[in-house]
Formats: sequence, C-alpha cells, structure tokens
Amino acid sequence: MEIDYLATVLLSSLSSASILLIATIGLAVVFGLMGVINLAHGEFLMIGAYTALTTTQWGVPYALSIPIAVVVTMTIGATVEILIISRLYGRLFDTMLATWGLSIAFYQLAVLIFGTVTPGIGMPRYSLRIGDYSLAGYPLLMIAVAALMALFVYALMTRTAYGRKARAAIQVPEMAQAIGIDSSRVNTLTFAIGCGLAGFAGAVLLPIVPATPSMGFAFVIKAFLTVVVAGPVTLTGSVLAAIGLGGGASITASFLTSVAGDAFFFLITALLLWLFPMGISATWRRKM
Amino acid sequence: MFRIVNATGGYGKTVIIRDVSLHVDAGEAVALLGRNGVGKSTLMRFATGLIPAGSGHVEIDSVRAPVSPSRRAKLGLGYVPQGRFVFPRMTVIENIAVAAEANGHNGSEAVDATMADFPMLKPKASDLAGGLSGGQQQVLALARALAVQPRILLLDEPTEGVQPSIIDEIAGVLKRINRDRGIAILVAEQDLDFCLSIATRAYVMEKGAIRLETDRDRLKADKQLQQELLGV
Amino acid sequence: MTFSEKLYRSAGLVFPIVVTVAALGAAGVIDPYLAYVATSWIIFGLLGLSLDIVWGRGGLLSLGQTAFYGLGGYFGSVVAINLGPVTGNTLIWSLPAGAFFGALCAAALGWIIFFARMGPLQSTILSYTLTLLLWSLTQSFQLDVGTASIGGDNGLSNIPGMVLGFGEKAETLGPVAVFVATILIAAMVYLLTRALMTSTFGRVVDCIRIDAQKAELLGYDVRLYQVANFAYAGAVAGLAGALFGAWANYLNPSIFSVQEALLVPIYVLVGGLGTLAGAFVGAIAIGGLSYWLGGGAVGGQTTLILGIALIFLVLFLKNGILGAVGDLWRRSLPDANAAARDADAVAIDPEVLEGLLKDAALQAGPAKSLATRDAFKRFGGVVPVNNVSRIFEPGRPSSLIGPNGAGKSSYLKTCVGIYTPEAGSILLADDDDITRAPIFQRVRRGMGVKNQKPQVFGALTVFDNLWTAAYARTRNKTGATEISEKVMGMLGFTNQAAVQASVLSHGQQQWLDIGMVLCLAPRVILLDEPAAGMTSEETRELSSLVRILARYTTVIVVEHDMEFVRTLEGHVTVLHQGEVFAEGDIDGLRANDRVLDIYLGRRAHV
Repeated sequence: MEIDYLATVLLSSLSSASILLIATIGLAVVFGLMGVINLAHGEFLMIGAYTALTTTQWGVPYALSIPIAVVVTMTIGATVEILIISRLYGRLFDTMLATWGLSIAFYQLAVLIFGTVTPGIGMPRYSLRIGDYSLAGYPLLMIAVAALMALFVYALMTRTAYGRKARAAIQVPEMAQAIGIDSSRVNTLTFAIGCGLAGFAGAVLLPIVPATPSMGFAFVIKAFLTVVVAGPVTLTGSVLAAIGLGGGASITASFLTSVAGDAFFFLITALLLWLFPMGISATWRRKM
Repeated sequence: MFRIVNATGGYGKTVIIRDVSLHVDAGEAVALLGRNGVGKSTLMRFATGLIPAGSGHVEIDSVRAPVSPSRRAKLGLGYVPQGRFVFPRMTVIENIAVAAEANGHNGSEAVDATMADFPMLKPKASDLAGGLSGGQQQVLALARALAVQPRILLLDEPTEGVQPSIIDEIAGVLKRINRDRGIAILVAEQDLDFCLSIATRAYVMEKGAIRLETDRDRLKADKQLQQELLGV
Repeated sequence: MTFSEKLYRSAGLVFPIVVTVAALGAAGVIDPYLAYVATSWIIFGLLGLSLDIVWGRGGLLSLGQTAFYGLGGYFGSVVAINLGPVTGNTLIWSLPAGAFFGALCAAALGWIIFFARMGPLQSTILSYTLTLLLWSLTQSFQLDVGTASIGGDNGLSNIPGMVLGFGEKAETLGPVAVFVATILIAAMVYLLTRALMTSTFGRVVDCIRIDAQKAELLGYDVRLYQVANFAYAGAVAGLAGALFGAWANYLNPSIFSVQEALLVPIYVLVGGLGTLAGAFVGAIAIGGLSYWLGGGAVGGQTTLILGIALIFLVLFLKNGILGAVGDLWRRSLPDANAAARDADAVAIDPEVLEGLLKDAALQAGPAKSLATRDAFKRFGGVVPVNNVSRIFEPGRPSSLIGPNGAGKSSYLKTCVGIYTPEAGSILLADDDDITRAPIFQRVRRGMGVKNQKPQVFGALTVFDNLWTAAYARTRNKTGATEISEKVMGMLGFTNQAAVQASVLSHGQQQWLDIGMVLCLAPRVILLDEPAAGMTSEETRELSSLVRILARYTTVIVVEHDMEFVRTLEGHVTVLHQGEVFAEGDIDGLRANDRVLDIYLGRRAHV
C-alpha cells in the first residue's frame, strides 16, 4: 500500500509538473528566442481558455475548439507584437512593464465581457486505479501533451528554416540581419507562436482549470520563474526546471500543505538563482 | 559594381569615417589597408548597413542599396565580420543552412557545396559553432557568407587570431572563388602578405579617410610605404 | 546665473517644500474623507520613493519593495500594539521598528543579490520571488506576540491609530490631523533621502548605476554601496508600511499581492524615474485618478485605464511627468555643455605632473612591481592567455605588443581581475598574491587601470568625474578637491569643469579617463591602447606622460601602434597567439625577422 501511495503521489506530481510545463512553453519560446519577458502570457492563456469555452458553448466540439483558440491567440499576439513589442526591442524592463499593462487591460476586458464567474466544462470521465487509489485520467493525459508540446517546439526550432532563423536572430542579432534574415518578421512570428502556445495551453487545460479572468495570474508567476531559472538554453532548461520546481512543489504539497508546496517552489527558485545567477543552463552547450 | 559614396558615420555622436568613397569592379579583389583604429571596420559596417549612415550611401550595380542590412544581403552582399560572430548555439550545418535559407536558397544544397569547398568543416559538421577553435570559426564565418551566394564579399580582418595554416587555406579559397565564380572581394586587413596574395588593387586608410589608392606591384615594391602605412 | 537656472538647480528642494506647505494649508479646508483617502496616496508615494532609490538611482528594478513595506508594516504594528500603551504615543514605536525591520530584510536580500553578482533580470525576479513567497506564507502564518495576534489571511487587526501625545490621556488623531502628520513625515523622509542622494554616497550610487565596472576600477566596493542603498530603501519602505498600518488599523497578506507589487513601478514611471519627488507625483496622480473614476467591486474601469496608461507611458513618455517638465525647462536654459567646444589641446606640463607623482609617492608609498606566473585563461576553444610569466618593474615603460588577436587585452584583463585565470598566479610587489582578489581590492592595493574604450561617467561633470576618483583614494573631501583640481588643470580642462563628460569628444574622454587613473595615485598603471583615437599631437603628449609616469610607478602599456611604442623607449614584450613570442627593446625587435613576419603576416619564418 505504501508503494501504491508513493506511485500515486509521483504520478500526480508529474502531471502537475506537466501542467506547469504546458503553461510555460509559450513564455519560454518568447523569452528564449526574442529576449522578451511577456507578462501578459497568462492572459493569452486566459484568452485561449475563453475561446475554447465560448466555441464549445456554441456547439463546436471541444477537440475542434482547441485549434480555434490557437488561431485567435496567434492573431492577437501578432497584432500586439507589431503595435507594442516591436517598438521596445532591447529594453527588457520596458517590455515587462508594457506587457504588464497589457495583462491588466486584458484581465479587465475579460471581467467586462464574461463577468467574474463562468461555468466550467466537465472533465472527461476516465480514471486510473493504483491499488486503493484512483487518479483522474485527464490530468495524467497532460504528461503526454506536455511531452508532445516540448517535442513539437524542439522540432519547430531545429528542423525548420523559420526555427533556424529565429535562433540565429536571438544569438547574434546583427549578423542575422547581415546574412539576410528579416528579424522583424521573424520576431512577429515568434511572438505569435508563443501566444498561440499559451492559447493552446489555456484550451487544453480548460477541463482542469476553469476559465476565469484571473486565471492568468495564477499561472504566469510560476511559468515566469521557471523560464528565468532555466536560463539561455530555454527549452531543455524549462523542461528540467518545470519538473524540478513544479514536481517538487507538488510532492511537498501532498505530504504537507499546499502553502508548503508554494513555499518550496519559491525557496528553490531563490536558491537556484543564487547558485546560478544567470540561470541553470548558462554554461550548457545545447541547441534549445 | 559596388561603390561606397561619400560615407560619413560612426557610433553615437562620434564620427569615425569622413567622406570615404571607393569602388570595387565586378570580379575584382580589392584590399583595404591601414593601422588599427583608422576606421576600416566602421567602413565595413557602413557598407553592410549595420551602422546608420550619417551621410553618403552604398551602390550595388549602380543602384542605391536599401537601408536594411537584410535587404542588402539579398542583393548579393556577403559579410564576414571582424571577430567572426558565428551563431554559437547552432551547429556548423545550421549556421550555413540558415544563411542560404534567409535568401531563398536551398539549405541542404548549400551545406553540401560548403563541405566540398571546406573539407576541414566536415568532421565538425554537427558540432555547435561556439565550441570550434578560432580558425575553424573564421572558416565557418566565410562559408556562411558564401552560402548567401554573394556577388561582392566583404571581409573584415579574416586573419585575426588565426593560425598560419588556416590563413593560407582561407587565402586559397578566396582566390578560387574570385577567379572561378567571379565574386568580387573587398578585404580589410593588416596582414600585408595575405592581402597581396589576393588583391590586385588597394586603398590605404588613415584617420577615417582614404589616404591613397595603389596597386599590388607598387605596394609590393615600396618597402618604405609598407612600413609607414602599417606602422611597423 | 539667472533666476531660472538657480531655481532649476534647487527645484528638488523648493517645489516639494512649496507643495508641502500648500498641502498643509489645504488640510484645513478639505473634506475629511478626502483627507483620509489622500493620506494613503502619500504613503504610497513613500513606497514609490523607496523603489526610486533602488531603481532610479541604484539601477535595479526591485519588485520586492512591497515585501519590505509589508514586513515593516507587520513588525512596526506588532511593536506598536504592545508598546504603544506604555507611552501613549504610537508612532515613536511603529515607525523606527518598521524602518529597522524593512532595512534588515532588504539588507539580507541585497546581500544575496549583490554579493552573488546576479544579472539584472535574475535580481528583479529574485526580489519578486520574495514578495510571492511572503504572499503564500502569510496566508496561513499565525503568531501571537504579546497582545498582538497575526491571524493568517484574517490579518492583523487592532493596530493603534496615530497618537502623537504622550501619557494615558493622549488621543488618537482624527483624519485631517493624520493627513497633516503623514505629510510632515513624508516631507522629512524625502528631504533626508534627497540629502543622502546628493551626498558623496549618492554620487557613488549614481556612478555604479552608470558604469559599475568603472566604479569598481576606482576602488569602490560596489557591492557594499549597493547593499547599503538597498537597505536604506528597505527602511523607507518599512516606515511607509508602519504608517499604512497605523492609517488602516489593519493589515492582511494582500499587502504582498502581485497587484500591489506591480503598482509601485507605475507610480515611479508616471512621476519620473530617478527624480525622487516623482514617486509622490505618480502616487497622487494615480490615487487621484482612481478616486475620480470611483472604484466599485471590480474596480470600475480604473484597472483598464491604468493598464492602457502604462503601455502609453512606456511607449511615449519614458521620463514621466517630472522628467518631461524638466526636459522642457532645460531647453530654455543656457547650455552648460557649450564650453566643451572650445577646449584647448592637451599639453602635459612635466613639472606639474612630477609634483603630482611625488605627492602620490609620499601618500601611497613606493612603486610596486607586477608579476604573473604561468597565467592561463581559455574561452571555449580559444586560449588567449597561454602560460604567460612576466615581471614588470618601475623605471621605464613596459609595452605589450602583438598583432590583433594575440591576447594582449585578455592578458591585461587577467591582471586587472576582469578575467579570472584558470591556472597560474598574479603577484603585486613580489609577495602580495592577488590572483583571486576582487578588482576593487587590487585597485586599493595600488593598481590603476584604463581600459581600451574610455570609461567616464557621462552624466557627471568633468570635475565630478575626477573628484569621484580622487575621493575613492583619499576619503577626504578637501583632499579630493585639491587633487582633482590639479589634474584638471594639467589636462587643460579647467574651462570645461562643469561640462558633462558625455559631450566630450572621444579623445577628450580618453584624457579624462587617464586623469581619473592619475587621481588614484596608482603604484602600478595598466593602459590598454591609450593612443587609440588620438591625434598625432595628442599621441606625442601621451608618450611624454607615460615616460614620466614610468619614473615613479610601474607602467604597462598594451599597444598596437609600433611607432608609439618606439617613442616610449621602454622594454617591449611581443605576444603571439597567447604566448610570449619575443622581448627586448624596440629597435632590436624591429630588426627581428620573426617579429616582422607575424606583424606583416609574412609566413616565411614562422
């Protein structure tokens, strides 16, 4: 029975870590490939969730509502990049403040449009049994979703011409231009992809995390810390940071209290930043 | 086919080059000589569009070149910067492919062509560029510029910090592409032998301006001029 | 000087006093409810001020100011609850306690951030993490201290209001009196902060923000100043928190919330970053706006307007309200930098220079040698310093030459401490091992460094640049003034004393940088390509300066220009591919075919 309990805790912690990773990847892409911290990332997640919710309410099947959410968030993301972000390149803290302004504006718009309470959609009912314990199936499915997302982003960034251009543009911006890369177009696309990934996350997590205007805040903070702890090799770094921080916090929470879990997350973040002032991947030699 | 006309520019308010004009004809190889700090690199960056022009402009095929560096590259301007600046967290293959793809060429064809031109890159093909030695990075930077399929190639101090055997190899490749493919070359250098082995004509810069224009034979013969110009 | 100029210079003093007096006058007539609400704006202004000290002056965007604010608030209030009844007066307990605790917590966090030398983004995030950590911890944190009871998310209630009188009969102030008291406290804190920021301490903090490396190369322990500045800002935030507790009579964990933390930068940005007074302008503008628009359960449209306003501020009004007003005003004033244009050519007077150097030797002791033993440094696949062993001594200049990429600058940076070698050791004066010493320690033990690019504090005047350097060594204001005036006179900058260093030409900045090194009275001087970008006339002056310097100190010059090196008439070391290639005097080396080969790129002999 002890083994069963342990297995249950480990699986559910891995699923929490995966949920954190799903919510983080879009932010990691934007930070890793543009050097921009998008504080409105959580609100893109929220927009994705509301898009999926609204379209399912109109009768669209849930599975189809996810790509719609991606398209909507990508479009908004591209617009935001052209209107605001593109004017602020190289000004890290200014982009942080501007996207924070955007975040509270989006939040307030959501309050105006949807109100503060919205109905959730039911979680698909299937579950997994380990001994005497039962785990809901959908959160476990998120482990696979997170892995697929990470693989997708890795393939996108290393196997496509766009991905190579985007990586070149962040590594040596001047030379990227000098060999013919139109950085502004690449950046617009990168930001849109980051927002699209957030939209996907919001939609795919909808059965677990109901859409509310403030859902972004809850996610973005941990996502944001994960990315900063990860450092310059964003994707691999974020995966490891999400598993370590998110999984560790979840394990702590299941043995102690949820507050202890949060405290664990923040304390380990502080410790890692102290030990690795430029992020854990600062000296790694990897592509992504 | 390539001209710099009345170039004036620098960084911020500091003007480094003043009213510099030069030209490189189709298929010609020209050297830009001068001591450290006379403004050679600044002139190169002016030519690529990486520093804003105070005044003056660049012409490619008698047409005024656009402001954006990436559009200049598409018009056939290749650039090997001082300090190499390869993309460190990308492999050798990716460094070359991305340069080809950014200009609408096929990436894998470019990689194959490069490996034929530079056999020394072959064993390193899948390594990250940041881990290569200085000389290998220099060769990669040259290969990357060639993947753009340029008609004029600008090289800024390609021998800096590179061991002699690789310098010879680079010189050989440059001579070959100049002769066989008709790619024009403008090379800024302090290494006189290197320049004389490639270029037929030279400009000498001093204090941000062109001091004189000369040809290979005259420069080779005039030891006095050599010493004076290079501050040896 | 015109009246407008005088007023502009003391604007940070005159206008806040005028506004304070006006607000005190208005207190008698305004609606008590408005006075009550406006009190909170002033408290937020204090909180904003604490961020402006850290961000606008110190250069670190801290999102932890609300943490110190909340911690100071809780601590000050707990003390006031317990000890207030003893004296009657509550503020004499809560304010010092809040400020003390805020400073203590800020010092602890600052120590981690600055001594680990974190990057700017990581520092911001770590400060934010602290706030978030407190937010989640305080939700369930319960503790009884005497009669005070901290009850998790129920908060801390029964915080006594402001009582100024003493004894049992002292009464809690009414809203208008609280308003008046808060204004007076805020004005005092502001004036104290302004005095601190215009003092030498503030000058050094400014220098660190502009160029931390140069500040360290002057011998300032940058980290200590940063921590002290951070702790002071923490004290201001803690004091504001204690005031807030007394105003609200209640505190709960929402004080640590994300929304609170991110409001503070908005106050500062709206008012004007780095202006100190701007924090109050911003807090009052935003508080007033919210009051005007009226906040309902979900905040009405205030949040939406704030969000959009923030985007517009960042995009279009980077300097905030006070910054924009200041810019407009400055345009109407005569240009203090006009004198930069008619600077004389530099002419070194050997007698003045020797006088300076003799004084320096009296104060700082004899010249010191510098030696490296098997110094080794690598970057990835490149080895710019490969087992270099050399000893440099006073008497005549030592030059390091070599073609581009030979490792000259890297070797110099290894000696200075900008790079830490992987192997080998560096010795000062034969027996003082400085291989692991931080840069400022090396400078204090007698090393003076001028890097390749001129490093001057652009926003400071020419005189202040030199003075800051001289003060780093003398720690004495009159002494520093004396030395910097002498150096300024020698460099021919007397008429440009009040010119901002940023408007000087490249060559002039090189001289100013050299002047700053001279102000340090160094016993070993390292110059990296000092002649770069100088005219031939200036190069001649530089050559005579270096030769005179070498009679009194050890001088090491990294140069590319063989002609300049020849005029130095010193010992020359040739570096090639990170190793010592040849050495001797210049004429011998010029006759050496192997040296000519690597310089001219001839490969016959290599």
